[in-house]
Amino acid sequence: MRLYTKLTLFAVATTIVVLGLFVWQLPFLMQKIASGNTNKNLAQQREKVLNAIRENGIGYYFQGDSAYGSYSMLKDEYISLESYYSGADLTRLQTAERIIDGDTINYRILIDTFTIQAHTYLLEIGKKITSIQEESVALQRATIGVLIVLTLIMALVQLFYTRHLLKPLGSIIRNRLIKKTFPFPDSQPPLLTSTYDFRYLDQSISQLMQQVNHAFEKEKEFTSNASHELMTPISIMQSKIENMLTDPELPAGVVLKLEDTMRIMKRLKKIVNALLLISRIENEQYNRNDTVIAKPMIREVLEELQHRADEKTLVVEERLTDGVQLHHVNRDLLFQLFYNLIHNAIRYNRPNGRITLSDRYVNGEYVLCIEDTGIGIEEPQHERIFDRFKKSTAQREGFGLGLSIVKSIADYQRIRISLNSDAGRGSQFELHFSAAHLAP
Amino acid sequence: MRVLIVEDEHSLATEIEAALQKSHFLCDRAHTAKEALDRTDTGSYDFILLDIGLPDKDGFWLLQEIRKDHTETVIIMLTARGEVEDRIRGLDMGADDYLAKPFSLLELQSRMQAIIRRKFKLHDQQLKLGAFTIHVKNRTIHYEDIEISLSRKEFDLLNYLLLHKNRPLSRMQLSDHLWGDNADDEYDSNYIDVHIKNIRKKLNVYADTEWLETIRGIGYKIRTDA
Repeated sequence: MRLYTKLTLFAVATTIVVLGLFVWQLPFLMQKIASGNTNKNLAQQREKVLNAIRENGIGYYFQGDSAYGSYSMLKDEYISLESYYSGADLTRLQTAERIIDGDTINYRILIDTFTIQAHTYLLEIGKKITSIQEESVALQRATIGVLIVLTLIMALVQLFYTRHLLKPLGSIIRNRLIKKTFPFPDSQPPLLTSTYDFRYLDQSISQLMQQVNHAFEKEKEFTSNASHELMTPISIMQSKIENMLTDPELPAGVVLKLEDTMRIMKRLKKIVNALLLISRIENEQYNRNDTVIAKPMIREVLEELQHRADEKTLVVEERLTDGVQLHHVNRDLLFQLFYNLIHNAIRYNRPNGRITLSDRYVNGEYVLCIEDTGIGIEEPQHERIFDRFKKSTAQREGFGLGLSIVKSIADYQRIRISLNSDAGRGSQFELHFSAAHLAP
Repeated sequence: MRVLIVEDEHSLATEIEAALQKSHFLCDRAHTAKEALDRTDTGSYDFILLDIGLPDKDGFWLLQEIRKDHTETVIIMLTARGEVEDRIRGLDMGADDYLAKPFSLLELQSRMQAIIRRKFKLHDQQLKLGAFTIHVKNRTIHYEDIEISLSRKEFDLLNYLLLHKNRPLSRMQLSDHLWGDNADDEYDSNYIDVHIKNIRKKLNVYADTEWLETIRGIGYKIRTDA
C-alpha cells in the first residue's frame, strides 16, 4: 500500500473512531442538555406564572374553585394551582405521570409552593417528556449529519494534502533511484521542496551516489594501472622463454617444460588482456561511430571458429537477414561480442549439437539470437554469469571473463542482452539493437 | 640490417636484441629518448623499435623528432598501452607498425620480415617449396600449373612456417599466430596438427612434402636448403 494511502486511511480511521465515540455518547449528552434546558424553562415559566398571579390576584384564577388547571390542546404543557394545607415545603423537580383529560402522560414537573395572604398554594408546571425527547432526537440527527459531511471533507483534504506533501518522495525515487545507469551523472540539481526530511534524504542519496562513483573510479583506475604494470614483466618473461626455446642444444625435456611455462604465461596474459579490455571499455576509450553489417561479421566470426564447431560436429545454422546495418557501434568490440557468444555456444555445446543464429524485428528493435543445444545455465545463475571470474560449476574451462566482456561491450554500445536458458536445455542469448542502432 | 631498440626496460631490450641478433640483425640499444636521439643523429637505421612509455620524453614526441630526419627508416611502436587511439595516433605520426605488449618475439620478427618483403618488393616473389611454388602476395600454392586450394588458416600456417624457415615452431607459437589473442590454450595447439595433416593430404596428391617436418614433442618446421 502506498504511504499516502496509509496516512489518509489512518487519519480517516482515527476521525471515525472519535466520531463513533461521540455519536455513541450523543443521546446521553442530548438528554442531559434537553433536560437541563427543560428545567431552566420550567423555572422561567414559574416566574411568569407567579408574576401573573401577583398582577391579576389569585382569585382571578380560582374563580371560587379550590383548584385551577390549564393545558394546551396537545397537552404538551399543563399548569395546576391548588390550595395547600400541609406546612411542608414541596419545592422540587420530578418526572411523573399525570392524568389529563383521561390521558396518562409522562411529564417533567416543577412543583412549588407559594403563600399569598397567609394562604399557601401548590403550583405544578409540567412539560411532556416525549416532546422533550423528540427535540433531542432531531438535534442528534442534525448533529450526526453535519459531522458526516465534516468527516468527508476532512478525509478529502487529508488525501490531497498528504499526496502533495509526499510528492518529493516520488520524485526522489523517480529521478534518483529508478532507471539509473551506472556510473551516475556527477551533479544533479537538488530537489525543490520545503520539507526538510526530503531535502535531507535527497542530499544523502546524492552523496551516496558520489561515493559509489568515486569507488568505481578507483576500481577502474586500479584495474587499468595494474594491467599496464603487469604487461611489462609478462613481456620480459615471455621474451626470455622464447629466446631460450630457440637454442637447438636444449634437451627435449626442458623444451617441454618451457612450453608449459609459456602456456601458463599465455593464460596470465589473456586474463590481463581481458581486464585491460574491460577497463578500456569502462573508460570509454572506444569510439561508437562504426557501421557494421550484421551478417558478414557473423560469417567472419563463424569462419574463425569453424574448426572448433567441426571438431564437435556441430550443425551451424545461420539464418540472418541480408544487409542489416548496425550504426553507432564499434567494429572491434562488436566482433569480440559475437565471437565470445558464438565461442561459448560451441564450447558448451554437446557433440553433434546445433547452433542457430537467427534474427527478427520486434517493436522496432532488431533482435539477433544465438541459440545452442549445450549444457544450459540454471535459472539462479542467470544474474551471475556476467560477473567477473564467476562461472557455473558445470563450466570448467575459461576464466570467467568471457561473458563479463560480453556484458561490458553490450552495455557500452547500449545493446540489451537477454538470456533464456535452463540447465540441460541449451541457452539462447538475444542481442537487442534499439531503433537508435538502426538509424544512421 | 641495423636496428635501434628504444626500450627503457633493460631486460626486455636485452631479450629483443638477443632474438634479433640470432636473425642476423645488427642491434643498438637506447633506454631514454635522449639516448635514442643521440643514436639516430650519428647512425642510420633500417628499423627503430620504439617504446612509447619512456622515462624522459613522450614516445610520440620522439617518433615525430626521428621522422623529421629519417623518412626511410621503418619505425615499429612497442607499447604496453594498446589503446586504439594510441595506435591510430602513432600510425598517423608516421609509425609503420604497432605491437602491443606483451608481444611474442616471433611475431615481432614476422612483422619485420613482412615489412622487409614489402620494402624490397619481395612479396611478389614466388618461393619454391620442394615441387611446389608459393605466391605469397596472391596467397596461392601451385604444383606445376595446378592450383591447390588451401583454406585461409592452412595458407597462413604454411606461410608463417615459411617466413621462419629452418626454425622449429611450437604448436602454441603457431596457434598464437593463427588465432591471436583468441587462441584457446590446449585446444588450438592440438588443432595445428589437424591443419598440418590437411595440408599434407592436399599436397601429397601431387608430390611429397618431406620439407614440412614434424619436430617430435615440439611442433613443425619447413626445411629449405636455400
